[in-house]
Amino acid sequence: MNPARPPQGAQPPLGGDTRSARGAPVSAVPSSALITVEGVNKHFGPHHVLRDVSTHFDAGKVTVILGASGSGKSTLLRMLNRLETHDSGRIVVDGIEVNDNHAALDKLRAEVGMVFQQFNLFPHLSVLDNVTLAPRRVRKLDRAAANARALELLERVGLQAHANKHPFQLSGGQQQRVAIARSLAMAPKVLLFDEPTSALDPEMVKEVLDVMKGLARTGMTMLVVTHEMGFAREVADRVLFLDKGCIAADAPPEQFFGAQANERIRTFLGQIAH
Amino acid sequence: MDRVLSLWPAAWSRQQRSSATMLSASALMLLILWLIPIPLSWAPEPIGNNAQLFAEGTRVTVQLTIVSGVIGVVLGVLAALGKVSRFAPLRWVAGFYVWVMRGTPLLVQVLFVYFALPEIHPLFRMDEFTAACVALALNVGAYNAEAIRAGLLAVPKGQIEAARSLGLNRWYTFVDVTFPQAFKIALPPLVNNVVALLKDSSLAFTIGVVELTNAGSQVKSTSFQAVPVFIATAIIYLVLTTVMTQISDAIERRYDVEGKLR
Repeated sequence: MNPARPPQGAQPPLGGDTRSARGAPVSAVPSSALITVEGVNKHFGPHHVLRDVSTHFDAGKVTVILGASGSGKSTLLRMLNRLETHDSGRIVVDGIEVNDNHAALDKLRAEVGMVFQQFNLFPHLSVLDNVTLAPRRVRKLDRAAANARALELLERVGLQAHANKHPFQLSGGQQQRVAIARSLAMAPKVLLFDEPTSALDPEMVKEVLDVMKGLARTGMTMLVVTHEMGFAREVADRVLFLDKGCIAADAPPEQFFGAQANERIRTFLGQIAH
Repeated sequence: MDRVLSLWPAAWSRQQRSSATMLSASALMLLILWLIPIPLSWAPEPIGNNAQLFAEGTRVTVQLTIVSGVIGVVLGVLAALGKVSRFAPLRWVAGFYVWVMRGTPLLVQVLFVYFALPEIHPLFRMDEFTAACVALALNVGAYNAEAIRAGLLAVPKGQIEAARSLGLNRWYTFVDVTFPQAFKIALPPLVNNVVALLKDSSLAFTIGVVELTNAGSQVKSTSFQAVPVFIATAIIYLVLTTVMTQISDAIERRYDVEGKLR
């Protein structure tokens, strides 16, 4: 189905050198599949969005998922925590199969953070309460402990001073940084980013990307759907390119952005460049 | 006459002001119920000499409103949840309830609960006040259900996705994320319903509850002075709805974190 995709066994060397270039301890963390996707199909009505997609994502790696709009990249991401269902195939995240088992699903979602294009902060809660809600309810942290941890995280994204404000008082970039802190508060094993900078004014994109780069440096497992090629080049261990529901390319960024043999990818990159 | 109380004092925060307004307006309501015989007794005949009857009627009207209003909000939440439920039988039950209660006159409902239900089963025999409360609560509950359902549907899908993706289960997602936002949106129509309820409680008159309208009517039939009697009755209703909207307005302000209200 996907002639351009290398066989799965060929992936280990993918991001090793870029990661060591960032100074993170690579050799200490053996790569292991945190997420496995096997033969997944998805239809929206007559539209076949994902066609027999198989891949896996390793712990500690940053994967950037590229593709034209409608190529199924967001759908693939949203399936990993069951915001979308898959029609056939199998998805296993951290040993838990993703299906309609609600108890398992709640447990799984606690380990899989998600950052949305539209931030989706809770408008009726203060910034601090946005960050502490899930740890208090799901991890059963008491308020004092949750607040202390939340303030730490807000400091990490540079927003400690805004803890008592409400989301509407913040800029888009600030809101997205709160959303990242909110996800981190659950100490997830993997963070999914669904076009995190697409709803932002250009001058705010950098502040969000900087936070994401910082996260990548800590060894966080990240799956990022984005159009930010600079981010992909600089931070990704691996670039996945989706085309019409298939993985059309799966390569380390230097190879992906280098001499690209695939005509469709060349066209895509040409369109993105300006 | 809107928001006289809630704009003062200007130096306080929005939350302090709305809390203060809720407290002071509630206290004012109690004070009115307690002391209303005094100003009424100053009025000329036929009001002054019937002050106690008017006062008693006023208290019953407020009791009817509060009891059926509280039950009506609970019923409204349950019926709204039923109507948006994924479980089809629940949708049917809630839909049937709203269809019947909105589609038949409140007067018929009051008469049905008081006269017809005991004939269906003696267990349903109630005194006049209880029967009136049941009918009013069922009626306002149906209207509340639609207001709350509108609020639930207005909460963006992304909010629920964000809550679920954080690992919050359905209950916490509803209690912490969906309901507070839905309630804020539903509040103005809910207040509308409760104000209508206060006035509709006059239909309890028909099954013999001595509420405000009944009291006025009794005074009219002994004094034959319709004009002063019904002016006084209307003024008391107006005072009650005014105080009530002060409270609801303060609640609305409390939820208005974005400062949209002027």
